Amino acid sequence: MSLAGRVALVTGAGTGIGQGVALMLAERGAKVALGYHSSDEGAKDTLRRIEELGGEAMLVRANVAIRTEIEAMAQAAAERFGGLGILVNNAALQLNYNFDHDDDTYDRQINVNLKGYWQCIQAVVPYMKEKGFGRIVNISSVHGKRPTDFDTVYAMTKGAIKMLTRESAIELAKYGITVNAIEPGAIRVGRQGTKETKPFVPPELAERAREERRDLRWKFPLGRVGLPSDVASLVCYIASDETEFLTGAAIRLDGGSMLL
Amino acid sequence: MRLQGKVVFVTDADGPSGRAIMLRLAAEGASLLLNSASGGADVAAELEKVRELGADALVVSADLRRSSEAARILDMADERLGAVDVLVHNHDRVVPISVETGEESVFADVMDWNAKTAFVCAKAVGKRMEAGQKGSIVFVSSIHAEKPTGMSFAYSASKGAVKMLAREAAVVLGRHGVRVNSIEFGPVEGVDSVFRSDISLLYDSYRYKVPDGVLGTHEDLAELVLYLASDEARYLNGADIRMDGGFLMHYLDFKMKKPHAAGGAP
Repeated sequence: MSLAGRVALVTGAGTGIGQGVALMLAERGAKVALGYHSSDEGAKDTLRRIEELGGEAMLVRANVAIRTEIEAMAQAAAERFGGLGILVNNAALQLNYNFDHDDDTYDRQINVNLKGYWQCIQAVVPYMKEKGFGRIVNISSVHGKRPTDFDTVYAMTKGAIKMLTRESAIELAKYGITVNAIEPGAIRVGRQGTKETKPFVPPELAERAREERRDLRWKFPLGRVGLPSDVASLVCYIASDETEFLTGAAIRLDGGSMLL
Repeated sequence: MRLQGKVVFVTDADGPSGRAIMLRLAAEGASLLLNSASGGADVAAELEKVRELGADALVVSADLRRSSEAARILDMADERLGAVDVLVHNHDRVVPISVETGEESVFADVMDWNAKTAFVCAKAVGKRMEAGQKGSIVFVSSIHAEKPTGMSFAYSASKGAVKMLAREAAVVLGRHGVRVNSIEFGPVEGVDSVFRSDISLLYDSYRYKVPDGVLGTHEDLAELVLYLASDEARYLNGADIRMDGGFLMHYLDFKMKKPHAAGGAP
């Protein structure tokens, strides 16, 4: 499934899921604009790895809470690579305040996680319209359905992204743009974008499982948590030409753990 | 008297849902903290009826997008009525806004009005309910927490946010004996003009799409609010109850029941 000739913009490309997604898009032949804000070391690392693969990428710094910076980011990408067909909305804040957000941290989180997703969509639509092709993938979370119990406003933004995805899907369909969401469960993001193949389970869960003499499938039916590459391969599929009829969907990607 | 001795906080008394809810709850013995942007002027007739029913009502005007304002009126209620036992959040604002061309200010307005007030109120009231280890929170939401409108993504996103807020609160406050539920309310008369869309056909022939061909009213809504507020609903927590007469169950336009002759076809 080649993405040769496509141009992608990935926000939050300096860490975890964003880095994994950017790497795989490049591996499949897409030119990738790496959006980042605070993780400039990580973003440079992503760029270096893509260049090692023989891929093409560029760094674009932008705060997705600020519209003008978003617009500049999209423009820079489109000018450098000659258009923009794929957007991966991924940059998000998780503040772990549970129910204790004050009014300002509430605003901050809404502005990045929700308004930022919307305004990135707004910014790329003109370039997608031009070519009559667009694939927008919103990285959400299983917490769009199930409470987090550690960050109320984070869950609110993920519940809202589900509806942003559905609304965008029906509104932008006429331009040949599809909009879908991925709802990842636990994803190991500690080691940035590392291409790991070994099953991984958080140490505390592994410990509890040992104590209780349980198989790890007690928490994760497939015996491991997810990796950025798991999200990346689904993004690449959605971004491909094979998914013309897929829009407005929210795909849970959690190895089955929500079913338990 | 299913709410005898209970204090109920209704966040928007001026809208059609607020009017129906205050009358129904007052009739069941509740004391009311009523937030009214008009300072009670728009609901003078309802307030009169509430008082005739013998219910105590404290009318306030607070901007519930701000925590300090929520705290201020809850303090007033503590003094005048006693601690709030039930929160009914029914802020609801629909403003058209397109994904492609929408203005940031409209987005912020709709999100703040529908979702931030919900968070601010749930947090402020929730903390106080924790102290008493009991309470009920009811979010009056909309079927658009699941179904896109095709005319205001900010509206449906705000309702999607409230849906998750209710679930979070059900877990976090649930540990303190507080129940939190949401109502996804469906079509009432005239809703087709509120949600007029160039994209979605949802409200075309909407009267036919309710299987029985009969629309709901805000009195129906008030009945469910009353149930969720009362102790009879003691095991309901974290639920989102779709109350739409089966409207969202229609698929395309097949096999719809036509309204009765007197029912007023669209």
